Amino acid sequence: MTPLLKAWSLYARWTARYPAVRSIVPFIPVVALWAIVAESGMFPRAFFPGPLEVVRSFCSLVYKGILPDYLEDSVVRLAAGAAAGMALGIPLGVLVGLNSRARAMLWPILLFFQAIGDIAWLPILLIWFGFSLTTMTIVIVYTVLFPVVLNTALGVRSVSLDLHRAARSLGASRARVVWEVVLPGALPNIMTGLRNGLAYGWRALIAAEIIVGTSGIGFLMFDARRAGSVVEILLGMIVLGLLWYIVDSWVLAPIERATGQRWGLVTR
Amino acid sequence: MKSLTLRTLSKTYFDPYAGAHVTAVHDVSLTVRQGEFVSIVGPSGCGKTTLLNMIAGFIPVSGGEILLDGHAVNGPGPERGVVFQSFALFPWKTVLENVAFGPKMRGLARTECERIAREYLALVGLGHAAGRYPNELSGGMQQRVGVVRALANNPDVLLMDEPFASVDAQTRMTLQEELTRIWQERRPTIIFITHDVGEAVFLADRVVVLSKGRVLKELGVPLPRPRAWGLLMEDSAFKALSGQVLQLVRAA
Repeated sequence: MTPLLKAWSLYARWTARYPAVRSIVPFIPVVALWAIVAESGMFPRAFFPGPLEVVRSFCSLVYKGILPDYLEDSVVRLAAGAAAGMALGIPLGVLVGLNSRARAMLWPILLFFQAIGDIAWLPILLIWFGFSLTTMTIVIVYTVLFPVVLNTALGVRSVSLDLHRAARSLGASRARVVWEVVLPGALPNIMTGLRNGLAYGWRALIAAEIIVGTSGIGFLMFDARRAGSVVEILLGMIVLGLLWYIVDSWVLAPIERATGQRWGLVTR
Repeated sequence: MKSLTLRTLSKTYFDPYAGAHVTAVHDVSLTVRQGEFVSIVGPSGCGKTTLLNMIAGFIPVSGGEILLDGHAVNGPGPERGVVFQSFALFPWKTVLENVAFGPKMRGLARTECERIAREYLALVGLGHAAGRYPNELSGGMQQRVGVVRALANNPDVLLMDEPFASVDAQTRMTLQEELTRIWQERRPTIIFITHDVGEAVFLADRVVVLSKGRVLKELGVPLPRPRAWGLLMEDSAFKALSGQVLQLVRAA
């Protein structure tokens, strides 16, 4: 057996035993390349620190309690914004998806406001609400809202007419049809909307924290720029990526596996 | 189960592209007695599905009326069960939950819904599939679920819209025999839409041939029951009747 095949079989056995390995392995070459470039001295160390320095900075910031605090602030802001965005977006999407009159009225307005990106609201929000939590929350809710509304409406409209008819002829009221047929049928699309909304919202939050911030990961990065600490900026970037990966693979993906994929609405 | 009467039922659409009114169903009058099995057969485009959609209350009528036990019906309702060509099972509900849907909508207790659903699943030999999701079943099994889901609601009339058109030929024959068996056991009133002449004659007490939105002819089917393809396939009365209906449909 060649060493290559041996390595492959080792990899197969390890990923079978520890599925987490599968998500770590692709990053090994990326980190290695980073380390090599940093070690080669191509760029000054202060501008281009290596992985070890970032890990050291991570440990020190965790030890001081700054990173956990900031992380908590960012995540809580995103969660609150996402919850509010869903609470507004899903009913609105169902309304737009089911009622053609509501769609005719609301669709142009939705598209118009969707075009005014989240950050484009910051100037006026800063005048209205100042450098406050309100400003940040509005930006996140706004960002999460549109993907959720548009995808929910799409999902609602894609539920087959026969399913509506079947439910009605089995005695379901219109309200029951929404609950028993429309929402579960639209769920894969709602999840897509939520996934996009959270991803956009996460980016909008960092941007808002950079401009508005008094805490949070975005603030950490911008504060590090002021201090000229490239290490902390890189750390912030890595934390952003990691956190998103965790949200996606620990929260969103399991929900999708248990619903749309299980029901055969989404084929792999 | 009660009798169903269609009185000069019509459906006209306005086709905005052609700029003209199109008549899909024209003055159809028909009475289906309680416990009767009626097939409506005709070539595609003859208005048979439009007719069924009106009876089910899915689309409004343009003229005439639909009377169930003397009362006019309006909109869909649980007293008219529907079996769809597309099966229309809820993919997010298990087989048991699908069959229990009607009783649940009637507000019955959960245990009672489940008891009814299990009883009806047993009727088509699908007790073992109760916990599975529809996408895990074959087409034939899915439509068995579709049939008992409608029956579990104990409707006055069962409307079936080409229910076996999308399953393979062997499964279709099995499903047809099962349907005649269930009909003999429970005697539901059935209106069965199909374009398949053999199927129409095999199943029904009476065959209604529809052509260009009108009733072309009604024929009684005096074949003995229980019916099985093994007996009827070579039966001269069956063949003569099928031939007669086929000629009507082809001339339609």
